[in-house]
Amino acid sequence: MISKARKVSDYRQLTKELPTLRYVDPERVYINLQSDRCKTYTLDVKEGDKVKLGQVIGERDGGFFKQPIYSTISGEVEGLTKKLHPTGIEVDCVTIRNDFKDEYHESVTDRPESVIDKMTKEEMVDVIRHAATVGLGGSGFPSYIKLDTDKEIHTVVINAVECEPYLSSDYRLIKDSPEEIFYGLKYIMQALKAEKGVIAVKKTKTELIDVLERELKRFPHMNIEIAKLADYYPQGWENEMFENALGIKIPSGVLPMEYGVIGFNVSTASAIYEALKHNLPIIKRHLTVNGDAINFPQNIRVRVGTSIKDLIRLSDGYREDAEKIDLVIGGPMMGTSVEHDDVVVTPTTTSVLVLESQDFHEEPCVRCGSCIYSCPVDIQPVNIMNAIKRNDTKALENLEVGKCIECGLCAYVCTSKIHLTDYMRKGKKLLG
Amino acid sequence: MEFVTKNSPHLRRPNANVVRMMRDVAIALSPLVIFAIHQHGLSALWILLVSVVSMVATEYIYYQIIDKLNGEKFTLNNKSFTVYNFSVVVSGLIYGLTLPDQIPLVIVAIGGIIGVFLAKLIFGGMGQNIFNIAAFARVFVVLSFGTALAYTNHVDADLGATALGVLNQDMLNENATNYGFWTMFSGIGLPGSLGETSALLILAGGLYLFMRKSFDVFVPLTYVGTVFILSLAVMFTQDVGFWYPATHVLAGGLLFGAVFMATDPITIPTTRPGRIYFAFGLGVITFIIRLFGNLPEGVVFAILIMNMFVPAIDYHKWATNKFTLKNVSIFTAIVIITVVLTAVGVHYAG
Repeated sequence: MISKARKVSDYRQLTKELPTLRYVDPERVYINLQSDRCKTYTLDVKEGDKVKLGQVIGERDGGFFKQPIYSTISGEVEGLTKKLHPTGIEVDCVTIRNDFKDEYHESVTDRPESVIDKMTKEEMVDVIRHAATVGLGGSGFPSYIKLDTDKEIHTVVINAVECEPYLSSDYRLIKDSPEEIFYGLKYIMQALKAEKGVIAVKKTKTELIDVLERELKRFPHMNIEIAKLADYYPQGWENEMFENALGIKIPSGVLPMEYGVIGFNVSTASAIYEALKHNLPIIKRHLTVNGDAINFPQNIRVRVGTSIKDLIRLSDGYREDAEKIDLVIGGPMMGTSVEHDDVVVTPTTTSVLVLESQDFHEEPCVRCGSCIYSCPVDIQPVNIMNAIKRNDTKALENLEVGKCIECGLCAYVCTSKIHLTDYMRKGKKLLG
Repeated sequence: MEFVTKNSPHLRRPNANVVRMMRDVAIALSPLVIFAIHQHGLSALWILLVSVVSMVATEYIYYQIIDKLNGEKFTLNNKSFTVYNFSVVVSGLIYGLTLPDQIPLVIVAIGGIIGVFLAKLIFGGMGQNIFNIAAFARVFVVLSFGTALAYTNHVDADLGATALGVLNQDMLNENATNYGFWTMFSGIGLPGSLGETSALLILAGGLYLFMRKSFDVFVPLTYVGTVFILSLAVMFTQDVGFWYPATHVLAGGLLFGAVFMATDPITIPTTRPGRIYFAFGLGVITFIIRLFGNLPEGVVFAILIMNMFVPAIDYHKWATNKFTLKNVSIFTAIVIITVVLTAVGVHYAG
């Protein structure tokens, strides 16, 4: 098929209207000490120590930033194990056995609204840094660095687009607790002295728009609007969202802050609310378990540090007749597949997809051009592939392979089922 | 049960595959095949059979030998042997449909064998060919066996000339082409190649391909549009009737070439602006060959000539995914210059 294709077919078993199941009290949690950004760490607790919910138990070091590690339950430390991080790397984790008391640490105290109203940007940034809040859309980039920008920001955009198919964790978050998002947005706007707030959401998600508009009535004095964006992939990509919600086209390689706009994921806004209001790090999050090889797809509110094995068991396990399983953490277009299910839930884990692995029959490229027509950053995947095959770095530079955001559309639309996204990654590596 | 790891994306577009695309072309061609057999009788059937079988057999034997050389066993699902995805069948059908009805079968077979071997197999098989296989085979037959290409005239058995052949001989004489619009459009009783005569069925096939998104509709539109605009320019400057552009569009292999040959994605540029430049070039070359060339038919030559420019159009220094202001202004200027030059050229040459 020779055509531009930006609609990614959604899964037939939509989870978005399923209620959110609560699974916040696992037997044990495993707190990852390393992550894809932080290779080194210090641990302040040892085996047998009693820890409380929200207690700092160590510190991750990510080079240009440091991040406290929190216990997400109260209980007893059981020592170190190795588990998989959602990005597929093996990391050190500390095991904490749950005592089911949910005792909060003394540092977890509520801040009254009157106190927050008087906070300056520096104070807020400090709280958020201390709470280890990161970009929960999947990037995991520390939010305080973003918030600490010295550029003048006029508009804050909350990204509630969730354009990847199969996912519904952001959807459930907005339905379950919309007020957190509005408060989070309010605090961000206060910190950045932004005049305008925008919540970007797909126009096809009418129920969410209803919820958000109802909630908006509670904040009449604030300049917040809801931008209804078209339903296509990758609408949730920040630059695409800015262009469609605000009409600001941001060239590749430039930070949106240069244009006076800043974007936060909905979950990040909610986490910023938790940090400022309750002085809490991210201890729970919404997560979707979905896919064609799981018996019971559902949305779960989970404790950070839960093993995904538990969640699979909770969803009635894998479908018995599925022989090969592709376990994906994240969305089907950009998620990572992991080697086994012993993975810990981190704050950035949006979903677990259990897909029956399909072997796509790759055929020779017929140069149909669908990848070029569909590319959101206007590069030419097929010509980049050919340049890689002949090792032509000069051509790769001219073809601007570095612009690629690895959204996966080129491989998705390919008539010959060629894995073009892999070629794009290779091309980026070739250019260094 | 076991876990397998894969790189994202983990989904693929349903219903998008090469088999579907090529099968659609075969389906779009089938009314033309039936029409050709209805018009020309069994000889058409034999020509089409020989053209398809010669191409398929050449490819089959070629890969048998290659596989033997590589020490592999031959299987029908061999990726290189493209019968399963209809690609060689489609090439054979298109080639057969461009041939005249009185051609000896030996020539058809030779053209098919040489065409698929020289234009496809030695380049590395499907997806690697530079030249359109059917156009190459057809041109090979024209150049090597030109005298054997005789047409039967159903209207007047003595004449034996196509509308375009007449147009080429006596360019601006309206009475030279007295076939009438309906004959030209439906192709019933019109002399010409097997599949090129019925504009109606070609357009129906094009509509099907467009609805199935199995070709890029901008290529035939630009191609036919260019020829139409250039002949309009001649019409106005030479003061001839509307029959002139209409004949140019309906006669000869223009519609067939535009819908089925110029849209073969393997041999055309990959970007949309590139495809439009390519189709514009096709239109200009076709028109120039038709007016000033020795042979009445310019379509297959135009396709082969423009095939050579594909790497240049796709060159990474200037190929863009979308039309930019600069592209549009340069292209518009070129179009205007071409139209003016054609009008002036016809005035002095004609």
